[in-house]
Amino acid sequence: MGILDESSVAGQFVMPEVATPGLLAEAWAGGVEVAGARTLVVTLWDTFEWGIWHGGHVLLSVGASFRLCRREGGWIGAEVSGEEISGPKPRMARDFSNPAMREALGPMLGLRGLAAVGSARLRSRHAEFRNAAGKIVCRVEWVDVFRHGREADPVASFAGVRPLRGYEHDAEAVAEVIRANGGSSTGQGPLDAILRVAGHIPRVYTLRPVAGLEAGMSARSAVCRIARGIFPIIVENERRIPDDLDTEFLHDYRICLRKLRSLLSLMKGVFPDEATEGLRGVLGALARETNRLRDLDVCLLAREEYTELLPPVLREGVGGMFGDYEMERAAQFKKVASRLRSSAHRQRMESVGAFFENEADHGPSEGADVPVGPLAFRRIYRRYRKIRGIADTLGVETPDEAVHALRIECKKLRYLMEFFSELVPGNEADAMEKALRRLQNRLGQFNDYSVQQRSLIAYWKNRKGRAAEAPGLPLAVGGLISVLYQRQQEQRGEIQEGLDGFCSGATAAAFKRVFKLPVQSGPAEGSGS
Amino acid sequence: MKVISAYSIKGGVGKTALAVNLAYAVRERGLRALLIDLDPQGAAAFYFRVDSAERFKMSDARSMVDGLRRNIRESDFPGLDIIPSNLAYRHFDILLHSMEKRRKQLRTVLEGLTADYDVVLMDCPPNITLLSENVFRASDAILVPVIPTVLSQRTFEQLVGFFRDKDLPCGILRPFFSMVQGRSALHRRIMAELPAAHDGFLKSSIPFSAEVERMGVQRMPLLAYSRKSTAATAYRLLCEEILTPWEPAH
Repeated sequence: MGILDESSVAGQFVMPEVATPGLLAEAWAGGVEVAGARTLVVTLWDTFEWGIWHGGHVLLSVGASFRLCRREGGWIGAEVSGEEISGPKPRMARDFSNPAMREALGPMLGLRGLAAVGSARLRSRHAEFRNAAGKIVCRVEWVDVFRHGREADPVASFAGVRPLRGYEHDAEAVAEVIRANGGSSTGQGPLDAILRVAGHIPRVYTLRPVAGLEAGMSARSAVCRIARGIFPIIVENERRIPDDLDTEFLHDYRICLRKLRSLLSLMKGVFPDEATEGLRGVLGALARETNRLRDLDVCLLAREEYTELLPPVLREGVGGMFGDYEMERAAQFKKVASRLRSSAHRQRMESVGAFFENEADHGPSEGADVPVGPLAFRRIYRRYRKIRGIADTLGVETPDEAVHALRIECKKLRYLMEFFSELVPGNEADAMEKALRRLQNRLGQFNDYSVQQRSLIAYWKNRKGRAAEAPGLPLAVGGLISVLYQRQQEQRGEIQEGLDGFCSGATAAAFKRVFKLPVQSGPAEGSGS
Repeated sequence: MKVISAYSIKGGVGKTALAVNLAYAVRERGLRALLIDLDPQGAAAFYFRVDSAERFKMSDARSMVDGLRRNIRESDFPGLDIIPSNLAYRHFDILLHSMEKRRKQLRTVLEGLTADYDVVLMDCPPNITLLSENVFRASDAILVPVIPTVLSQRTFEQLVGFFRDKDLPCGILRPFFSMVQGRSALHRRIMAELPAAHDGFLKSSIPFSAEVERMGVQRMPLLAYSRKSTAATAYRLLCEEILTPWEPAH
């Protein structure tokens, strides 16, 4: 719908201040009826990643009424679902009680939480353009956007032309009238104005920023560029962790810390060893401080899954356990949030940022001036061969630790490929990364089952308080561990299948073709392992 | 998607008023309606201020679908579209005669046309032709307005006879009393007798009303300009009676 009615927008115009719907009426030979204005305060909601906007929708609230609508450029389109919210504002998809709303929002939100991203007062007027027979041939919705508290001057005015099926020519004529009255098609609509007032522009959020690498640039220069792309993401997420809107700020903060740390070790020799180790230590410490909080987030995110794994009669048994997790999480969160606000933490963060600011600040090192292209490719290919070597030794009897080691190696290779995919010509890296991702997903699942079992055992060993006395708890924990163990074993077969695909055939040929360089003498390089 | 046709062998029985107001009542229920005016007189489209359809080539089902699709017009009422009539529709019969499966062509055409709609309504010309037979074979229900008079009763019985002769399913015939004048003893007598003779007779009936006749002046459905009139309520009830048994399908 438009702000108030349903139909799609065919032409979108930004209108000059002097134009009014009345002016358009004067310029139209047929009759025009302009309906009275309707004013409403609209608040827009989205996630940090703009999942709803990029999903082609808009979630808005007017008072307690939430409506999910399709987005047509900068205009509100047809309503998909809606709900009246009487209690606290919804944060996650599950906070809506309307199943249609939950289902539509689920994929767009993922694990991200909703926050208000803009609010404004809208005045909407509708004009109906008729032909000589008195038939409506076009509708125009005229929307003025006002900043709160400044109701006299609109921030911007927009006209949306909505043709009626079979009368598209008339709509084009109406659009001409609008153009003649100063309307300009910028592709923007009221939604853009609301967000602009709030200081927001929907952007694409990525954990893989483009660094602008070239194969011939020095390795140190390339590493600094990559790091300068990652560091702002760390800062951006770190600043939002204390709001506790969702678990993904901490998650992404940790991913990027880990990436930066891996970058240093995978490209060992690019900085003097002492400096590399020093910074690795800082990054490791920063990540470790949030380990427990992340573990608890993972446990709590699995609550629904755990509950569904158990037969109904045992489900009550784990209720208390999750209650304990929630309490511990609240305490951990407080601790982490306070640490993030401390001056010591700020100083450490500043030191991380400063490390990559100026590459000349560091002393010479063996790999600093080596061209990054050949260096990175050699290390990627070496890492790939190492994984193939491990894969050859794997079997059904392989201990979990060996699978874990394979997972770590795959992660290192993935990071290397992510960092330097810009240097791979065409889209060749995509298929290789896809095969790697498939294998990693299986390894990750295997590891998750293992970690979850350990975590349940740890909870059981250290249990105390009333929740621990719940009569169903031993059965429920035991039941869960059994199921998780079973699933972990099943996952072994999947891993073997993933390895077969990744270590042979087209993928192996592609790795060799792209990353294996002709042997030549050149400057020494570090091991990078 | 359901196909409902407004049909009568006899003219002037309230057939077009039924098609127009039923289409409006359907969209009032939140369903997407397409009204196809098959009557070359074009009265249904006139009521919506929609011009005649542009002429188009009709050599086979495909070209008919394309031509009809190009002629879909959005009415002033969101959720209700119209395909207006065209004098050329009087050639439908000749065209159908020349086609294979000529008795079922309209069904094929509708299938190509109606993905965007929940209910398609057809206002049919008042005669029995090959087009009518196509309408019968394409419809889920055929609403037959019957004025409670002897002559109307006779024409309805002729229609039932035609259905039997052609081995058409009589169950889709849904007659109802139209232009009813409660003060007429004859109307009351026929209304008491006729429904018992036909299983599908609808309980709803449409009263004779000057409000309905004003549609030609207002050029819009009665339900749009006289929402609370007795006749408007009667059309809504009739719509409900027809659609309710199908509602799980929507």
